[in-house]
Amino acid sequence: MDVAVVGAGQTKYGNHALGLKGMWAEAAGKAFASVDGDFDPSIIDEAFIGSIAFGGSQLGNTAALLTEHSAMDGISVRRVENACASSGFAFRDAWMAIKSGQADVVVAGGIEKMNDLTPERKRYWLGVSGDTEWERLAGLTFPGTYALMARRYFHEFDASHDDLVHVSVKNHLHGSMNPDAHIQKEVSFEKAAGGFMVADPLTLYDCCPTSDGASCVVLAADHVAKKFTDTPVWVRGSGAASDHLALHDRPTITQLKATRDASNKAYAMAGIDARQIDLAEVHDCFTIAEVLATEDLGFSGRGEGGLFARNGEGRLNEGHTTVNASGGLKSKGHPLGATGTGQVVEVFKQLRGQVAPSRQVRDAETALTHNVGGSGATCAVHVFGRDRP
Amino acid sequence: MTAEVWMGYLVDAHDDFVMVQSPFVLDGSRVFGADSDVTTLAVAGLLHRLQHESIASISVPDGIDGQSLSMATGIVLHDEEAEDEAPWDVLMSDEATVVIAKHGADVELTTLDVEVEVDSAFNTALEAAWEAELTATHVSQGAYVSRAQYEEAAKSRLSLLGQSVQEGVVWPPRFTHVVDGSPSTGHLLQRTGTVQSWTTLSAAGAPSEFSLRAPLLGGISTVYLQLDDGPRGVFLTVDDESPHFEMDLSMELVFRRLYAQEGFIRYGLKARAIDD
Repeated sequence: MDVAVVGAGQTKYGNHALGLKGMWAEAAGKAFASVDGDFDPSIIDEAFIGSIAFGGSQLGNTAALLTEHSAMDGISVRRVENACASSGFAFRDAWMAIKSGQADVVVAGGIEKMNDLTPERKRYWLGVSGDTEWERLAGLTFPGTYALMARRYFHEFDASHDDLVHVSVKNHLHGSMNPDAHIQKEVSFEKAAGGFMVADPLTLYDCCPTSDGASCVVLAADHVAKKFTDTPVWVRGSGAASDHLALHDRPTITQLKATRDASNKAYAMAGIDARQIDLAEVHDCFTIAEVLATEDLGFSGRGEGGLFARNGEGRLNEGHTTVNASGGLKSKGHPLGATGTGQVVEVFKQLRGQVAPSRQVRDAETALTHNVGGSGATCAVHVFGRDRP
Repeated sequence: MTAEVWMGYLVDAHDDFVMVQSPFVLDGSRVFGADSDVTTLAVAGLLHRLQHESIASISVPDGIDGQSLSMATGIVLHDEEAEDEAPWDVLMSDEATVVIAKHGADVELTTLDVEVEVDSAFNTALEAAWEAELTATHVSQGAYVSRAQYEEAAKSRLSLLGQSVQEGVVWPPRFTHVVDGSPSTGHLLQRTGTVQSWTTLSAAGAPSEFSLRAPLLGGISTVYLQLDDGPRGVFLTVDDESPHFEMDLSMELVFRRLYAQEGFIRYGLKARAIDD
């Protein structure tokens, strides 16, 4: 049984005027409208919606509320929670539902409404996915956690904060061309290098913004996919893994084991290696996270992620693999639960040639999404292709 | 008299008592450092004494968190209902000074010559912040750690109690042995390690548990330590010493206040550079 993505849509990320119901309806509506053939939501067998339920406004039964407002009444639905990787795992669950033979048409999506809270409540919710008992009581927020990784990385390898600045500048450039991005503005190297210090050595320009947003994709089994489109995007590999929640329990903090394990599984299933990825949407919640991801996903060697960034190898159509053509979490935004399937939306459009020519990855045949929960406790990686597996 | 510096405090040790004093002075009086109180001084004094002799049990006065003191030092609190006297007592003075004394010892306080002047406005603001944080209704908007969850791990947090398992020493301990029946014994780790990484969070970016005090402190610093006994851990640094970090810097872990919530002070181990 092969699985294809036949529709995908999202809201613009950022400070969204709509609430949960409105944002989800917009994303689902765009996903359904993107299906080339006729699509009646009543044929959906299952739905998986990723969300941390940030703010707690509908903490329980979130998914039932959302489907009620998106013409999906009565279907089997649940919320999937794995911190920032919630919808990466929602997508994997949807893929598994079809692979198991229990469903033919499945929706995976994600949502987060983050900007309608007071700063104090926002800080509460931004902290709930870290290791609260040890890291949090040691004063660490996620910027602090990734700052520890960055400083250690600089110490172990030939790298410096300048390499992180290159990531920031690149992703702002890519995001400036993406109409769905939260921050559609380029930033100079000098400005990014001199940003307000959030958690030494990470500045404001190393950190993703706090975004509202929703994303939704429609998956179909191979025997029904043709009904919806002649140009499906095939899921060629799916891998997921977990690791210790707290940094101090891991053998190293300059590598995310969950990423390595998840990507190795996804590559093996797809029968490819990293060199065959044309486009990668990676989880750059902080710039150091992209540096580590380029290594852990195999785009560069161990300790060479800084050099990869410095040489501009991830820039649009300049290197072998374009990294974060959407602008990534850094510029496109990071509405926690929506991010994973939001990455799939970008890949779906890129592989079908449906983005503006100015930001189209040339000759894109194979793509990857990489969605990380917290500081690496969970990770889902998916490989997509224009060709059926 | 020249004092010994021990865990960031001044210590004057005698045969039958040890005096522990804050190094900070305001208007001629000893005052507590930014994350210190009588309990933190008492724990430091007891750990100093435990280098030389064992203490079977101790009596502590009101105002000292006996439960935390006991978990941090391993010393049993004396049963107040018992007919016999405790072999050791904790005595408090009006200033930031604590004495650990054998019961009935003739204690004579000495004047120590280390005095670090603190800014009056800073000290007042910090005391006010702690007072606000300590109100029973104050619940941090940070990631909530309930009292039960805190207490479940308090022994490991306060004394660095690890776990010996087949693979080696683990800290904080895990519950895996409960499930798979694997051998597990307690292992008290040395309170020393070396810096593997560090960060200083801006006051605005600090977790909201620390939101009342972080602006006064100019942010908060956290180190990632390789403990000398093997495990690694992340620790806040002490609030009353200017952080200067470098890779492989040797640090010790000392008992200090972390934050307060619901009228209850949560203590923990914080890192400070080992004195030359």
